[in-house]
Parts: sequence; structure tokens; C-alpha cells
Amino acid sequence: MAPSATSTEWDHQFHTLRRQDLFRNPPTDHSAYPALQLAVNPHIESFNAIFRGDGKRGLLAHGLADIGTKVFLDGNDRAGPEGKNRLQIRIKEVTLQKPQVPPSNKLALNREIFPAECRERHATYRGKLSATFEYSINGGDVIEFTRELGQVPIMIKSNRCHLENNSPALLVSRKEESEELGGYFIVNGNEKIIRLLQVNKRNFPMAINRPSFTNRGAGYTTYGIILRSVRPDETSQTNVLHYLKDGNVTFRFSWRKNEYLIPVIMILKALVETNDREIFEGLIGPMGSKSAQNTFLTDRVELLLRTYKAYRLYSKSETRAYLGQKFRVVLGVPETMSDYEVGTEFLRKIVCVHLGNVDVTEKQDLDKFHMVLFMIRKLYALAAGECAVDNPDAIQNQEILLGGFLYSQILKERLDEFLSVSVRTAIRDYLRRHPAVNFTSEEFRKEFPGGIFRKSNENIANGLEYFLSTGNLVSASGLDLQQTAGFTVVAEKLNFLRFISHFRMVHRGAFFAQLKTTAVRKLLPESWGFMCPVHTPDGSPCGLLNHMTHKCKIMTDYIDVSSIPALVAELGAVETSSASTDESVVVMLDGKILGWSTPKESLRIGDCLRYWKVEGSHNVPLQLEIGYVPPSNGGSYPGLYLTSTPSRMVRPVKYLPLQKEDFVGPYEQPYMSIAVVPQEIESGVSTHVEFDPTNMLSILANMTPFSDFNQSPRNMYQCQMGKQTMGTPGTAIRHRTDNKSYRIQTGQTPIVRAPLHNTYGFDNFPNGMNAVVAVISYTGYDMDDAMIINKSAHERGFGHGTVYKTKKITLKDDSRTRAAKSVAKMFGFAPHSYVSAAYQGMLDDDGLPHVGRMVKEDDVLCAWHTVTPDYNGNLVNLDGLTHYEKYKDSEIGFIEEVRLIGAESGSEPLQTISIKIRIPRSPVIGDKFSSRHGQKGVLSQKWPMVDMPFSETGIQPDVIINPHAFPSRMTIGMFVESLAGKAGALHGLAQDSTPFRFDEENTAADYFGHQLMKAGFNYHGNEPMYSGITGEELGADIYIGVVYYQRLRHMVNDKYQVRTTGPVVPTTGQPIKGRKRGGGIRVGEMERDALLAHGTAFLLQDRLLNCSDYTRSWICRRCGSFLSVQPTVSQFAPGKKKAPSMVRCRNCAVRLDDSEGIDLTEIQGEIWEDGQGNCWVGGDQTTQVVVPGALKFLDVELAAMGVKLKYRIDRTDEPRKGPMKPLKQITAAA
Amino acid sequence: MPREEYQVPTAGAGASAGGMTRGATGGERHESRSVMTYICGDCGGNVTLSKDALVACPHCAGRVLYKERTKRMVQFEAR
Repeated sequence: MAPSATSTEWDHQFHTLRRQDLFRNPPTDHSAYPALQLAVNPHIESFNAIFRGDGKRGLLAHGLADIGTKVFLDGNDRAGPEGKNRLQIRIKEVTLQKPQVPPSNKLALNREIFPAECRERHATYRGKLSATFEYSINGGDVIEFTRELGQVPIMIKSNRCHLENNSPALLVSRKEESEELGGYFIVNGNEKIIRLLQVNKRNFPMAINRPSFTNRGAGYTTYGIILRSVRPDETSQTNVLHYLKDGNVTFRFSWRKNEYLIPVIMILKALVETNDREIFEGLIGPMGSKSAQNTFLTDRVELLLRTYKAYRLYSKSETRAYLGQKFRVVLGVPETMSDYEVGTEFLRKIVCVHLGNVDVTEKQDLDKFHMVLFMIRKLYALAAGECAVDNPDAIQNQEILLGGFLYSQILKERLDEFLSVSVRTAIRDYLRRHPAVNFTSEEFRKEFPGGIFRKSNENIANGLEYFLSTGNLVSASGLDLQQTAGFTVVAEKLNFLRFISHFRMVHRGAFFAQLKTTAVRKLLPESWGFMCPVHTPDGSPCGLLNHMTHKCKIMTDYIDVSSIPALVAELGAVETSSASTDESVVVMLDGKILGWSTPKESLRIGDCLRYWKVEGSHNVPLQLEIGYVPPSNGGSYPGLYLTSTPSRMVRPVKYLPLQKEDFVGPYEQPYMSIAVVPQEIESGVSTHVEFDPTNMLSILANMTPFSDFNQSPRNMYQCQMGKQTMGTPGTAIRHRTDNKSYRIQTGQTPIVRAPLHNTYGFDNFPNGMNAVVAVISYTGYDMDDAMIINKSAHERGFGHGTVYKTKKITLKDDSRTRAAKSVAKMFGFAPHSYVSAAYQGMLDDDGLPHVGRMVKEDDVLCAWHTVTPDYNGNLVNLDGLTHYEKYKDSEIGFIEEVRLIGAESGSEPLQTISIKIRIPRSPVIGDKFSSRHGQKGVLSQKWPMVDMPFSETGIQPDVIINPHAFPSRMTIGMFVESLAGKAGALHGLAQDSTPFRFDEENTAADYFGHQLMKAGFNYHGNEPMYSGITGEELGADIYIGVVYYQRLRHMVNDKYQVRTTGPVVPTTGQPIKGRKRGGGIRVGEMERDALLAHGTAFLLQDRLLNCSDYTRSWICRRCGSFLSVQPTVSQFAPGKKKAPSMVRCRNCAVRLDDSEGIDLTEIQGEIWEDGQGNCWVGGDQTTQVVVPGALKFLDVELAAMGVKLKYRIDRTDEPRKGPMKPLKQITAAA
Repeated sequence: MPREEYQVPTAGAGASAGGMTRGATGGERHESRSVMTYICGDCGGNVTLSKDALVACPHCAGRVLYKERTKRMVQFEAR
């Protein structure tokens, strides 16, 4: 019997045996959790689109067509193109290989490099990129050659990865998770993903009212139409139309980060052979139409045409030549091109590129012409107030920039840059150095391509690795994006929830993070079903960092819409139109105008297409978006906008007329009526119904049990804390080398969970423990969100976790500039060197630690010594010194693994090791725990079991929390979970906790209450309990049940900071900052205020002076200065240290040597000597005071600027207040 | 076996002479190290490397080698 295919259906039950079997025998056909792979697929598919294997052209192939042929000329730079030789070169094809061992490694039998090896070796998972070039000289024979362009990082599980389509069994044998998802890159051992970005919807003219538009120049208004036009290779070019005060319209675009403005009529006239009447009627409509009476419009169009007369350009060829002349330098086209050709190139590269980008036909130019006309129409409608602005922050007008597409854009630009900058300069430099050589000469043939390509920087792949490891975009064009940094993030595998969330994360863009207004962060109703309303962090990224709902898909390919134009024409779309939207509205497919129809007809067309697409007939694809915008009074510009492009979001809903699955997109959704639940369906209005109301939630938000019972912010907090839980990162932990990795030892499957828990296979990655929780104020140790855990539960392993830290120790110089060929250091003890016995005991003979050894602070982890090659080439140590790397953490750890990392070429002695250290972290007081309802708490006591309260069945709680945690937070879901968990534990059931399953008639409390009753427990979940200390029954029944608890990664051991004395900043004497360095915690202004307000002066002094920069300092009472005092030096003092030093003021003292006239016998006071041997007398009014060190620092700083500070030490030094009292009175009183 | 009878196995590679005698003397001159055995991360075979040897498994040219768990007694907090 052939083994049956692995089942992928899951419900909410435990499926213990099935999971056990899956775990022990990973399936050899396909994964049992396909939903997980679907969640990540947009990333992988977008990468696959760069180099496709299915016969269609890849993105990069499209990109190469856009780059086109470059022409270089020889001879003098200054001279014109006449009589010069032409070298035409283009990139024919670019290929990317799967990761392989370099050919220099002769030993390796298995040439493939797998991702696991790259993780372990802290290397990059990358494959060789090579390009085939094609060149001809003076149009002669075409010569092909291939160059290697370096090694490009490759996405895991993409079509350039060895893991593509691997079965779970094969994945396990390749040291991966059985459910390895891919979708990320491995760069230097780190897992990096390219963030999804929200960008403007492509090929759609958006009406915008933006105050900054007025900054473009005099006369500019705030109105504009933005069209983000996307080429077939997924690069985009934004075209903007600006409305001027007088009614004129200019066309703006940005090219290589510079902005250019052109009168829009010039674009129109360059695109097609046209005349003013055609433009006029194209904008307003045929004679006699209703819009011809619209004087607002006619006046402005007339002005538009009249002002353009100043250019005196009439025909298409004149206009193109004019444009070509102006943009020749900007576009960087070869000198051999005529102005007309440059103008054509300009239109190809910049104007409405989605309608024709390569080999533009006249038909395509006509499409562009119609598109620009439509944009002008919409702009006038916007300016006249006939249509509303489109909100660029609404998901309706957005799409997702996928990582693979961005990657391909960067690759394309690098290739373009390589050819048009690097190769060009290399050829020019060569020709300058050899003025006699030209392209046809023999010397050049020898030098090209080899020598010249070597001179130009061929390592294109390096830039991509830099992009992935830093997230910085280095680009000449800016790629039409608003940010240059923060494109990549590390996919942290803290626990599986966090890991999977990275792939569903969508960012609005770093630019919007700095925006003062909060409009972009707003949760808009348009997002329904596409962005999870719950799963966004609170704090600074709130609303900018969203997560897709679990059913939301991103299209990654064009769908076949070849039949649509014919169908639309058949349904009655015509070519003529009027500017009045009452008469005709547009029918548009992917930014191409298919025709015009009356508003009524457009509704019919839309409805027909929708029926056909769900039915699957007439060749209408299911994922086609049919955005029917109805005519309205000043609403969005009406029309029928069909979309088939990639990067769109779609989600499944049920189409009512056919009771079948339909996919809706964010653009069409606001104009549709989709019932959330079947009861909501309104006859004649609703066209769709949701498959499940939970489809609006993200994967993570779906994991919160009974989330519909909770106050909404609590669900948000749970989404945060779920991602900070110390969970199970995976099963292939042995083959991972994360810098820091957390793991819970005693993970359990939750009793209360949604079926999606199984669908996504989260039982493979347990995230917490089921705990018996009593809600009671028991000892006082559960105040203020603290929780008490049962000491015996702790001893049974409740919440026991482990931290793994990996330390990479390399002896290589990290400098990338110098290829360090020579080995300068080696692991191990230097021969014949002195090694202390303690150190020798800690290390093995190879200088590496014993695996399994316990390490404490300042233990050595490895030994190394320097070497130099002797005359035989043997490496010998000369200095006889052994150096050590130390373990610097204060916690005790254990050596878990020691890896010896060899070079890819296999021809290097040991230079790098990686040590994984295991740090056990059993729960201690101060560690953080939380339930799945945003109820976090700190462990405050491990209470002995005998003193814990117990119920009548003898059950004692594992966890005690305080009832005060509930009233203000209203996390009723936690109560319901407690109830459900208790009933589930008693009956041995898994409980379905999907939200929106209960209602007012069938309440959750009743459902689970009856289950409890059946088990012989109280319906309400309360139980009488007895004090563990006195044995007496407690006055009230206690709510006790089973709740799933998570242990969060924030642990006191990583956080505690305490000091009395310690390192200080040398200048001020104040404590240094930072926990790592043993610094202090700042007592800030607010803390100071609190101490002042309490009148705790001594405490204040202790904090601010004694424990800070307390300084005893000498000062002169007479002149009041710190700076003039100095210690005396006695000639007869025995030693430097022992001499009882006197301190004298140099300023107040008199020097004896230079004042010859002084009679030594008349001198009062002691004579003292300074360091130079000069004798002084006086200046003995010095004293010691305590001041803050910062004060002395200030004094010195001010002195440096010529400001003197004088301190009054004594009362008598105080300045006299009031007039001087007459001497008589004083004497009289005496 | 009672704890007291436990003998440190002299396995490992080469049964280095220094073994357990070190420790009490408070430091010594280090003699050149002997050949060590590691485990190949790819094929799982034993790999013996001498000082200065190239890091690669002789059987499969595996580039990651693991150090074996120590044969010395490691027992902590035995309570």
C-alpha cells in the first residue's frame, strides 16, 4: 500500500499521536502545515520573479531591455561624433547560480552549499552572478563574452536555493526545520529579510491636495495628480501634473534625484501627431456635449493651449526634437543620437512608462496620450471641486513593494550603472593613456573586454550584500522611493510567533516615521481585511508598522487579462467621451484607457465582469480587481478601474450570487457591500460575505483566545508580548548560531486555542505553559501586577528557560580592504610559553574550551598566539606568548558547542571558532510573565506549596494574581480562558477559542459553565478555598482556572543595575552611564523634585553628592579660589608620599626671591617652597571644603575663558548689605 | 560505580601525558600540542587535525567541525 498523502486539514483538537508521528517521521511528500508556507510565499515568489524558470521573461530580463544598448566613441572627447568609431555594447543575459563551493576547493565531493552551513559558518548564502555581454564595433560582427559579477545573496527556498520544494524529511536531513519557510537571506550568518513597504498604487492617477506643491514655483497651487507608473521590470517612475493658479498644467518628474517641469501640452504634442482641436475635444468632449457648456473647463483649456503657443512648436517631430535637445545631457544618451531620437527616448523612459517602455509603438504612444488627457481631466475636476482627493495614506490607494522586486530594481540599476559609468570611464581612461589606439586597432581588441572590464569595478554583487546587511540603499536614482535606509531587518527567531510576524509585517516607510502629523498612522476602515487592526506596536512605530491579515495575499505576477479589452468593448465601452462624469466615465485596465461608457453602463460592465470572473468564464481571471467607483456629488472620481498587476493585496470572500470564492482588492472594497457574518446580508445590497470574521486578524492576533471579550488595547499588548515570549525558536537549534537565542524548557500546548493554532503548526514551537491560576489577593506579594508562583511548580520546571549565546572568535583581521592572505595568528598555546595551571585546566590541548565545561566570569574561552612563516613556509611562534579570550559575562554558563570553522576554499588553518554558551535561566524573582491577554506581571515570590491556598479537590494554584488586575483593564477574555481551560483540563479536551463564536443568547460563560458542572465543579468557576497557612476556609470563593502563561524574555538578570561606588567620568567625577560598565542610574530632575518635595534633604545630598561627585578640595579663603592653591614641597621630606603636605595659596603668597628689598627678619609666617624650589611666604589661609566635582570642572572651564569665580567660604566673607555703619556707634556700644 | 572510583578516561586523542598532573604546580611551560579529534559537521565522521592543519574533513571536505564533548567529569551542583 502506498502511503497516503500527508493530511493538511486541522481542527482545534490536540492530535497528539498525529503530531508525534509527524515529528518522528517528517513527511516525504509535502508539509502538513501549508498555511505557514503561504504566509511567506509573497517574499519567495517575488524573488523568483527576478530569474524565472517557467519560460516567461524574468524581471531582470525586462530590466536589461530597458537598459538597452550603450554606445561608446573613441577619439577626442571634445570633438563631435563625426568620423569616430562606435562601440555598441549591451547586456544580453544575466544568470544566477545556486550556491556552490568555489572551484579552488578541489576536495569537496558535494559541491552544494546549504543554508545551514552558512548559518554555522557565519557566512553569506550566495551564488555566482554572471552576465553575458554582446558588443559590436561600427555595427560589425556581434561578439559575445561572459563576465562574472561576484556572488549575490540568495533568498532561502527561492528558485536559486537548494531548498526549493524540499519535503520536510529532506529539509530535516539538510539541518533545517521540518517546516522551513524561507523568504529571508543569510548574510554573515544573520537572517535578514527585506521589509514590505507600502507605496502608492501603481498606474493610477491619484488626486492630491498637498500644501508643499506651492513650493514648486510662482503660481503653483496645492492641487496635483500623481501617477506612479511602473515598468515591466517593476521599477517605477512617478509623473505628476501640477495645477497652476491661472489654469495652466505642468508635468513634473524626477530623474536621478532632480526634478524637472515641462508644460503638459508639450508632452501631448510630442507623443502623437495632433492639433489643438484634438486636444481640446479630447479634454472637453465632442461638440455639443454637456461639458462644452462648462466655462470653467473651456476657459482653462483655452488658456492651456494659448500659453503653449509661445514655444512655436507645432508638429510631433518639432516637439520631440525640442525635448531631445533639452534632455540630451540629463538622459546621458550617446552623442550619435539625433535630437528627435532623444525626444523619443525621453518619452519612452519617463512618460507613462507602464504603457510602453521598450520599442514603443504608435499605438502605445496613443495610449499614453489618452492617459495624460485623462489625468488633465481629473486635475481640472479636482481644481473645480467636482471630485475629492484620493487619500495616499489609505490602503485603497496603496500597494506593497515586495522584497524580491526591490532586490531586482537594485540589481538592474547596478548593472546599468556598471555599463554606463564604470565601463565608460574605464574605456575613456584607456583611450587617454593610449591616444594612438582606437576601437578598430589590434591593441584595443586585445584589451577589450578583459583588461578594461577588470579596471571597472566588476563586483556588483558586493553592493547587494551591503544592502542586505545594512539596509541602506545606495542609488543614483533613488529608485522612486522616499527613504534610503532601513529596508532590511534581522528576522529574529526569538520565538516562532515573532519570526513569522516578520514576514507579514508591512511598513509605511521611514519617511513617515518623522512626520509630526499622526494622519498616516490612523487606522482607516479601508484597511479592513487587509491590515490587522490589532497587530501594530504601540509607541513610536504605531500605525506605521502594520501586519497583514492571515488571509491576505499579495499578487506576485501579472494575470492574463488579454480578453478584457474585447469584453469591455462588447459590453458597450466607446472611444469618445466627455469631461462631464454624468455623461461618460472611464473604463481603465492597469492604467490603460479601454474606453468610456455612461455611469449606468459602467456598473453593468463591472457586474458582468465580476460574475464572469467568479464563474471562471470568458477568460476573466479570478484575481482581477474591478474597482467600480460610482458617480457621486464631489466624491472620488468615478470610473471602472480594472487591475491585474502584481504587488496588489487580495483576500478571499464569498461571492453571494454564485456562493463561490472571490478575491477582492483594497481599491474595490470600499465601494462594495461585504457582509461580515451571514446574518448581516442585506438582500439586493450585499454582494459578498466574509468566510469568517476572524479573517480580519493577523496570524498573531488570531492566537489570542477569546479576543472579542477583551478591551482592544489589551489585544494589542498581547500581540507585542507574544513576540517577546521566551518560546521555542525551532527544532534545529543545534545548527543555529544566533547571537542570542531563548528557549523554554517546559513548553506545553495550550488547552485553549483556536483551530488556526494547529493550521499554522504552532504546537511545533510551544510558547508557554498551562498554569492553574487563582485570582486572589493572598499574601500582599501579588500587589501591583506582581504574581506569586507556587514554589513546587517552579521546582517542577514551570517557566524554566535557557539562553544560548554564540560568540564568534576570529583571528583574521576584520579589515575588508586588505585581503589577508597570510596567517598571523593561530589558536592554541604558544609552544614553550608560560601557561598558568588554572588556564591550562580550562582549555583543551588545542587551546579551545572543553565542551560541557562550566564557565564563570573571567574564565578563558580560548588561547591563541602569533605566528610568522619561517624560511620553509612553516608557521612558527617567535615571542612565546599565549593570549587568551575571556568570558566576560557575570553569569555562569556552560560550553554547549565549539565549532571549528574552515574556509570555503578548504585551504586555511583554523582561524575562526564559534562557541555556543548555554546559560540556564530558571525563573527568579523579578522575571516577567504574562497571560495571553496583555496581562503582564512580575514574579514577586516563590511561595512554598504548603502555604498556598488549596481547593476542596486539593488543587493548589501554580500562579496567584491579584483581582485588581481586572476591573480597569477589562480583560474578560482571560476569565473565559480560565473557565475554558479548567473545563478542558477536567474533561481532557482542547477548547476552541476562536473569537466571535458566542453571542448574547449563547454565552461563553454558560457554555463552559455547563462543562464545569458536568465535571462536578461550580458553574461560575469559583471554588471555596482554604488558607494554606491556617487551614481555614477563605471568606470568599476564589476564581480559579487554567490559563496559558508565557514567560517573557525580559529578565532581571539582564536588567538589574546597582552600585554604590564604581567607575566615574574623569572630568566631572560623576558615575558613568551604562549597565554593562557598572555605571549608575541618573537621579534626574523629576526624581530630584520628588526628594525635595518630601523634604528628604539628607537623601538628596546622598544621591547628588556623596554617591556622585563628592570631592574634598583645598581652597584659599582669602582669594576664594580653587585654582591658586598648591601643595608645598619640603626639601627634607623623606619620601614623596609620606610628607605631610601643606597646601598654600600661591596667589596670596609673596615670592621671596624676586623681591630683594624684603628684610627676612621682618617676615611673618612660615616660608614654604614650591616644586621648582622657589621660596614663598604667606598664602596660608587655605582650608578644605567638600564640593561637587562638576563645580571644580566648571571653574576650570570658565577660567579657560577668562572668567574668574570667587567663593566666599565664611560668613565674614559675605558682602556687606546696606550702608556702612559709622565707627562711633560700634565703639560706643562696646 | 561509586563516585570515588571514577577514573578520568584517558581517551581523547593521543592520551596526552600532561593530563591530570597539571593543576597543583601553579603553572608550567607548555609543550606543543598533540593531535586532536573532532567531528565533521557534514558526514559525522571523526577528523584528526594536527597543529597548523587545514580545517577540512578528509572524507567529505566538510568545512565545519565540532569539538567532541569532553571526557572529563563535568558535574555541577550535585544536590
